[in-house]
Amino acid sequence: MKRLWMGIFVVAAAANTVGLLHADEVDELAGTIDRHIAARWSEENVVPAPAADDAEFLRRAYLHLTGKIPRVSEVRAFLDDPAPDKRRALVDRLLESPGYIVNFTSVFRSLMIPEAEAEPQFLINVPAFEAWLRVQFADNVPYDEMVHELLTTSGSGNDNFAGRNLGPVEPNPAIFYRAKQNKVENVAANVSRLFLGVRLECAQCHDHPFAKWRRQDFWQFAAFFETPAGKINIPDTDQVVEATYLSGEKAVPPSGTSVRNELATWLTSSENPYFARATVNRLWFHFFGTGLVDPVDDFDADNPASHPELLDELATEFAEHNFDLKYLMRGIVASRAYQLTSRQTDGSQSDPRRFAKKAIQGLTTGQLFDSLAEATGYYESNAERNPLNMNENSERAKFRQLFGNEAGEPANAETTILQALALMNGEFVETATDLEQSTTLAAVVESPFLDTAERVRTLYLAALSRYPSEAELASMVQYVDSGGPSDEPQTALADLFWALLNSSEFILNH
Amino acid sequence: MLKTTRREWLGLTASGLLGCSLSRWMPLLAADTAEAAERKRSCILLWMPGGPSQMDTFDLKPEHKNGGEFKEIKTSVPGIRFSEHLPQLAQRMNEMAVIRSMSTKEGDHGRATYLMRTGYLPQGPIRHPTMGSLFSKELARDGADLPNFISIAPFRFLSPAAYGPGFLGPQFAPLVVGAGQPGQTDDVDASLQVENLKLSENVTAAQAGARLQLLEQIETGFRAERPGLAVNSHRSAYELAVRMMQAGGAAAFDLSEEPDELRDSYGRNRFGQGCLLARRLVERGVPFVEVSLSSPDGNGAIGWDTHQNNFPAVQSLSEVLDAGWATLMSDLKERGLLDSTFIVWMGEFFFTPVINGIAGRDHFPAAWSTVLAGGGIQGGQVYGQTSEDGMKVTDKPVSTPDLLATICTALGIDPLRQNMSNVGRPLRIVDPDAVPIREILT
Repeated sequence: MKRLWMGIFVVAAAANTVGLLHADEVDELAGTIDRHIAARWSEENVVPAPAADDAEFLRRAYLHLTGKIPRVSEVRAFLDDPAPDKRRALVDRLLESPGYIVNFTSVFRSLMIPEAEAEPQFLINVPAFEAWLRVQFADNVPYDEMVHELLTTSGSGNDNFAGRNLGPVEPNPAIFYRAKQNKVENVAANVSRLFLGVRLECAQCHDHPFAKWRRQDFWQFAAFFETPAGKINIPDTDQVVEATYLSGEKAVPPSGTSVRNELATWLTSSENPYFARATVNRLWFHFFGTGLVDPVDDFDADNPASHPELLDELATEFAEHNFDLKYLMRGIVASRAYQLTSRQTDGSQSDPRRFAKKAIQGLTTGQLFDSLAEATGYYESNAERNPLNMNENSERAKFRQLFGNEAGEPANAETTILQALALMNGEFVETATDLEQSTTLAAVVESPFLDTAERVRTLYLAALSRYPSEAELASMVQYVDSGGPSDEPQTALADLFWALLNSSEFILNH
Repeated sequence: MLKTTRREWLGLTASGLLGCSLSRWMPLLAADTAEAAERKRSCILLWMPGGPSQMDTFDLKPEHKNGGEFKEIKTSVPGIRFSEHLPQLAQRMNEMAVIRSMSTKEGDHGRATYLMRTGYLPQGPIRHPTMGSLFSKELARDGADLPNFISIAPFRFLSPAAYGPGFLGPQFAPLVVGAGQPGQTDDVDASLQVENLKLSENVTAAQAGARLQLLEQIETGFRAERPGLAVNSHRSAYELAVRMMQAGGAAAFDLSEEPDELRDSYGRNRFGQGCLLARRLVERGVPFVEVSLSSPDGNGAIGWDTHQNNFPAVQSLSEVLDAGWATLMSDLKERGLLDSTFIVWMGEFFFTPVINGIAGRDHFPAAWSTVLAGGGIQGGQVYGQTSEDGMKVTDKPVSTPDLLATICTALGIDPLRQNMSNVGRPLRIVDPDAVPIREILT
């Protein structure tokens, strides 16, 4: 094990001196993805969809990497840019932007402590945990180190009230344990799902008839979290089991170290067959909406990967590249599968596990709010936008409350009646489409040098990050010029903006 | 600015302005409801998250040391007795059937909740629908103004998947009101409203219609090229939302229309007023309504999870339950709706007969009770039996699928009907081995 760690440190040192990755490494990774995905297409006579155009790619990349849609000026600049490698350049820029840190802090927070959304009294602990995550993403800490710290943290997971009022919030990964109620079995179940992609907890109460994990395996794994003893009594039995890896090997901590430390080292090692695969699979899910293994936390003989060799190769590359999440993201986003259009052009594209058209994904509440804010020109104050400030903006909090009815569920591509009502009649969209209160709308309506066509175009760019088609433009210009039922072109523009913000094209990531 | 009145809004529908923009949205929904069987009854599920203790509610053992503090009282049916803290329900025993022989194997809240609410244990990637989605799909009405499945004050934390439509998809998701959220108002009436159901005051009805037409225009192109759940669910959600707005759906949720005295007898808490809302919804034809009793004040919690201080906790929950449920039954009866409304009372399991060291009880799925009441039930009977100490079922054990099959039968649903699941194989509404309890049905 020691030698392994030495090896990893050498790689880390090398990566640090090189700084940004070479472009060809990213191309190679994307090429690996393309090769495996395309091989399956031809085996199964799948006709892939055409490539996404620049606008489609831009909006998608913004949403996946920064959690919100681009500004009008960014859309215009990107669409006008003649550079052939502008997509790569865009991705490099977004990965270095504050939006990346904010977005992935939020993505990993809801992965690691989903309890925060369901349990009101737990919200108080979120800032400290997010502060820790932000540091990880701001410094691009290798994922194995990040998880190692999470697993070995000695901090207190007690309720943290610091975030409420004054002062900086101390980053605190131990909140993870507090979220699991400091219960050994909860921690064990979550760690195995999150970082190994294995649902051990089905074996918590009894041997599961279909899975290879036995009750003993679960409790042997749980014993790692029973510190310092590393032993645990299986409830309702006389059996005491010792901390044992899923490989069946007993943990033998050298004196002076804890079993927890041993677990962290075993779990995050590049020799662990689960860790890199589970992580690659989670990121794949983030970008494609379907894991190579799906559900993402159900690695099991009965639930095989759609592209097992691809998963293996991605996992190997990820480990060899120092568990660098950005490297993995660059490769995925540069792949052909990611850059396909979401339009279905052939029936053979309908199986999401063939990745033959870009999947349509839902936005999380946060992404939807941020995108609405971007589209409508709603600005959070500087203090509120500072990523280190955790005081919830009131509009955002209200929005979360409203959409929080869906708490506990992941980003869902399905619209509910309550969401439809909120977007149709809710205060936020109402303000955003009010001529006197909306920044975007006011700018569009009041600029004297814009003709109707340009006004319509700007609203399309603001909401949908694309220009309207000729047919759309003609029809919308006609509506606006007619003034609509209010007989007032300005109000008609507000009507158009309302319709754009309520469209599925706006509400979905496609 | 013009203020939109309901009359204007309805007039707009009549003039076809909204009708036109929505007409193309209709077939999608109609296709799924066309085959629905003729409904016998609506269903109200009174859901008790956490699992009430049967020995402190409907199956007391006052002679045994496991029995606990509560006394038994007589009910309106000679020979049947239950908890002293359910006195109003005791008077309605002739309309209820108590099943004392539920027996399941799941002692974990999450898995047991999933089992009792879907009829199946979690199995890998299959996303089983909750029973409200399953049943309301069968009982759905064409072109209804209110959703077919409304969930009042759910507490979904234990098993979020057990509260959703699973593989049936968002069209069959519940409309949720009164879910306890951080910072949500304690005002019970406000919490039971559907938010944003009214058109903004600054938008005229004509404008709203024009906006919907623009939206439909924008949707058309996008939708045609992107078939699938995401875009369809957007369409069905907007379609239903608009229909609710047009039909004055908000009125259904306006409890202030009810006399104060009646509201008092339901209990001025989220569960009691939720029961009243359930009656108003059933009255308007909603086929499936569930009301959760998660804590006496209705804030999200697993109140029945009484590991500590079992007795005071169960007593205060019982008082809320008794007022809400008994008034619901009398109110339904007075309106001639009790025969056409089937009421189910259940949680995910019950609590141990043995009282633990901190005056609590612990999870116990081996022998517990549920209650069926109202239309379709031969009231005044107890089905099954537990042993003296309450530890095991001694007569006529009932499994979860048996119970669900019984509910199906009472509602006029064929439990063997199939739905296509998300793993590519059809799944019956209830496991085919299930046997409905004919003895308690009319």
